[in-house]
Amino acid sequence: MRYLFFILTILAGLVAPAHAQPGRPDSLHRRSWLLPHHVIGQFAGGQGMATVGLGYTSRRRLDLDLLAGYVPRRYSITPMGIFTAKATYSPWLVSLGQSRWQLRPLSAGGMLSYTASKGFNKTWDDKYSTGYYWWSAHTRIGGFVGGRLAYRLSNQSGRPARFISAYYELGTNDLYLVSIWHNIGHLPLRSILTLGVGVKVDLF
Amino acid sequence: MPTTYFYSAWLRRILLLPLALLSAAGLTGCELFEFSPNEIRTTEEYHDLTRKNLDALAERPVPGNGDTLRFIFTGDPQRFYAEADELVASVNQQRDIAFVAIAGDISDFGLIREFRWVHDKMRRLHVPYLTVIGNHDHAANGRQSYQEVFGPLNYSFRYAGTQFVLVNTNGREYDFNGQVPDVGWLHSQLADTVGVRRQVVMSHVPPMDEDFDHQLEKPYVAALASSPLVMMQLNGHRHGFSETWPYEGAIPYINSASFQKNRYLIISLWGKREFKLETVYF
Repeated sequence: MRYLFFILTILAGLVAPAHAQPGRPDSLHRRSWLLPHHVIGQFAGGQGMATVGLGYTSRRRLDLDLLAGYVPRRYSITPMGIFTAKATYSPWLVSLGQSRWQLRPLSAGGMLSYTASKGFNKTWDDKYSTGYYWWSAHTRIGGFVGGRLAYRLSNQSGRPARFISAYYELGTNDLYLVSIWHNIGHLPLRSILTLGVGVKVDLF
Repeated sequence: MPTTYFYSAWLRRILLLPLALLSAAGLTGCELFEFSPNEIRTTEEYHDLTRKNLDALAERPVPGNGDTLRFIFTGDPQRFYAEADELVASVNQQRDIAFVAIAGDISDFGLIREFRWVHDKMRRLHVPYLTVIGNHDHAANGRQSYQEVFGPLNYSFRYAGTQFVLVNTNGREYDFNGQVPDVGWLHSQLADTVGVRRQVVMSHVPPMDEDFDHQLEKPYVAALASSPLVMMQLNGHRHGFSETWPYEGAIPYINSASFQKNRYLIISLWGKREFKLETVYF
């Protein structure tokens, strides 16, 4: 699959700087709360062809991520920039035996995205009467389920372990849900699904 | 390291949910990997459908006997997938139908998946189907997606001595820039009458509609009137069936019912100007 190339590129780009972080503060207390906990590289999932981001983890179960994705002109009238805010909750965290591997077997989440593209024909403007095109072509709300497999990179005492992890998201968006809503049994569920895969690397 | 360690039947079930969804998705590979709902990527299966349908039509002997050409006229399938199933089942019961004509608004949101979904319904027709672009098909990247999946926005074809001219009339989507519809192109198509006995023009927005570029209304109507072979103008957009003579002259303007109205027309053409409309409810 030719897309594998993109995934590997993103992965390589992320791992290299993560290893080369100089002068990390020794104590968590000295770390600004603004500093992101992890960086992200993602492919597809309705959030861009190549997508990078950063995020925060709360109590190891909830991830809040901000992503910026790119879709080149080849797949659009003019290139698209997709900016996504995403929350992912993973209730179960499973250590796989005594190994460095850790599994989140099920995640569920939601996202809000804004797509910028000069070539878009507008749906919210004064061309038609208010409400004629009731949706925005730019703003999407989506939901997904997925999973995540993490590998422990370091485990120094006094500091939280750093992980590199791969995840997938099987999702859909508001317009697809509206489409299937009145057509249950006439549009197969698979027709509204999208798949995204990505990598997260802990910074600290 | 504070981690939960458990493995149980519950875990298996939890693991199975996304996997079951994935297998339900058929793992159809790259189509699942969507960059954006507004992307214009499509596979060969959902590409160049107008040409493919025209090729299929060219292979098709004119059904029925004698001079009469019968085809189905409908429009605005946008988001009415349940009705699309019923329409296809009903049309497939009809005899001596040459093709199905759909007067635009294939999609509701201008998304490429919507075009694919409609094709997934229409591909079950026993006859070819042909479309013209509607205003909803212009939303966001829709115009480009329509061209990727179906083809040109203006085109014409000939079948059974009849020239069908399909033209983009969604002027409001171009901010009434005086270019849409392309009246010059329409003139050139209607002037090419060698071997043609009659002409039918189909578009989405009818010229008397407020979404038609008003500065082009008169030139458009004049173009139709300039060719003595034009026998009718077919439209969608208004979602209800109507047959009117809004302008001077002998050309009737026929608006299709949308898919949602659970009805379509069978149009029969014969002679030079003779036609018959039959309404079918499904």
